[in-house]
Amino acid sequence: MASRSRLTQTQAAWLMLAPFLATYALFLIYPFFRGIWISLHDWNLLAVAFNPDAKEFVGIRNYERVMWGKNITWSLFNAPVWQALGLIGLGLSVFLRRMNRLSRFNAIALAIVSALLVFLPGFHPGEGGRWYDRRFWPTVGNTLTFVAFAVPGVTISALLLAAALNRETRAMSILRTLFFISQVLSVTVVTLIWQIMFSPRQGLIANITETFGGTPINWLTDQQFAMAAIVIATVWWSLGIAMILFLAGLQDISQDIYEAAVLDNAKGVRAFWYITLPNLTRTISVVVILQIILHFQVFGQPHLMTQGGPNDATQVLVRYIYQTGFRDSELGRASAMAVFLFLIMGSFSIIQFVVGREKD
Amino acid sequence: MNRSSYWLVLGLSIPAFIWLVPTLWMVSLSFQPNEVLARTTSSTFFGLIPLPFTWDNYAALFSFGQTPWWFLNSVIVAVGMTLGVLFVSTTAGYVLARMEFPFKRTIMVMCLIGLMVPEQAVFIPLYTMFADFGWHNSYHALILPRMAVPIGVFLMMQFFRAIPKDIEEAARLDGVTWLRIFWYVMLPLARPAMMTLAILTFLYAWNDYLWPLVSAQQREYFTITLGLASIQSNFAQSEGLGRVMASGVIASLPVVILFLIFQRYVVQAMTVGGSKG
Repeated sequence: MASRSRLTQTQAAWLMLAPFLATYALFLIYPFFRGIWISLHDWNLLAVAFNPDAKEFVGIRNYERVMWGKNITWSLFNAPVWQALGLIGLGLSVFLRRMNRLSRFNAIALAIVSALLVFLPGFHPGEGGRWYDRRFWPTVGNTLTFVAFAVPGVTISALLLAAALNRETRAMSILRTLFFISQVLSVTVVTLIWQIMFSPRQGLIANITETFGGTPINWLTDQQFAMAAIVIATVWWSLGIAMILFLAGLQDISQDIYEAAVLDNAKGVRAFWYITLPNLTRTISVVVILQIILHFQVFGQPHLMTQGGPNDATQVLVRYIYQTGFRDSELGRASAMAVFLFLIMGSFSIIQFVVGREKD
Repeated sequence: MNRSSYWLVLGLSIPAFIWLVPTLWMVSLSFQPNEVLARTTSSTFFGLIPLPFTWDNYAALFSFGQTPWWFLNSVIVAVGMTLGVLFVSTTAGYVLARMEFPFKRTIMVMCLIGLMVPEQAVFIPLYTMFADFGWHNSYHALILPRMAVPIGVFLMMQFFRAIPKDIEEAARLDGVTWLRIFWYVMLPLARPAMMTLAILTFLYAWNDYLWPLVSAQQREYFTITLGLASIQSNFAQSEGLGRVMASGVIASLPVVILFLIFQRYVVQAMTVGGSKG
């Protein structure tokens, strides 16, 4: 044995790390920086494919063309509702922190989000001005609208279901399976099902409304209902994982608390409100952040169900990136949007990381 | 079962049934003749009961059309990706959990940062990269970009850390090499974690949509998820509703069966992947 050459610990470590490091560097780190590099170029997909030198370095002009415009000014009353909400949020973060009802981290997070809410919607084209890209900010707005409905929709229904299903009986585990099963379907199956569910001529929803004498809604082609339809399909699809996380969180709450509470006559809804919810705050924030990250990247549902329409009502950020890059061949601009997406996702990931760490 | 939980189960059965209806409807439509569906989709009880009944849609799928081929592509891609992720994650996870070497912390931090990069932020540069290599429309183009998943490394690392050190140390004293310890001692112990990771990866690979959409432009390299997307936009005209629904059922069968058999692992995978990833 002694004669056989043997790897030292360091050598063995690097040897076994090599497959991971190689794939990681090649398919994640390098593309990430290359993405930033592409975003600094005027880069046409087809032109560069034929002639690698057909790209031109333009600095931050892509970012400007996507996010900025001519004569952009800022005012406090441009989007009064959002900005008022932001101001309220700012006030709340200071007030609740003073009252010691918020941890320092949550207070800072709330303050930052609120400040952005005051600041960002304040920009608008001034006299004779216009956005260079009319579609970008509305697209971001649609994405946020989707997140604003899908995340509470999933979180609240998953939380209620988990609380009801948190019992170790055979019937309950079957019910849990039934609620979870849609989660494993692919986005194309989900959109296939819901496209036809929502169809005004063939759809199940239309068939049922007609039976009861109602007029079917043109869900997917009506500007008012298209986003709602996508949110419904999404909640149906992605409830399972949130429910599972809540069930795991509920397992950690000691049964003794509930038994003690029964003596104080706190059962059912009251027990849920006064015991379950306060003990589940960390799980709730994990689920909410996770859902925000997940749903901000929404692509398949609008891409397949409504093609971003009608009239751009369901156009979302990732679909706009995809179209700019692969239909309009404008890789530079598309990459600038992708970097924007990364910045938003990245900041939520940092929040998630900190929240996840808080307990330890 | 006491009275109150009896009512609870009964009360929850109604939403559970409603939750199941869309899936049931897809299955039911796939067993109805296309001629009937062209006229009405609510023949028997809103179409939820497949009467009139036919196997034709499934027979048609397997006699012509590309669905079986796409299905096979999906199997190749999903299995390939699963094996790849297992290999990459177990080796790296073990090293980071158990071995000491220079720059270990740097690598851990790098992994953590990698968790923050969403695939939607890198699919354009990946596309140009693979185009430069001339790799598009191939199985490795569909598999490789998904092998570098830091979450898999973290999952395995956490598992290896929880294994008592005694077993390994005894082996080390006997002069067994690191690679042998990894292969003969640690890997057999890691089977449950590997199962969890494998199922998570397989589900992800089977259902992946954006990257195959960008990378596979030739229909021969479509996965079933992508293929289904390509036929659903014109379902009413060319293919026939029943047949498209049958494709949907076929596309979902493997993941649903996998889920029903390995439910425990799937739930575990989602919990770990969800709270950490």
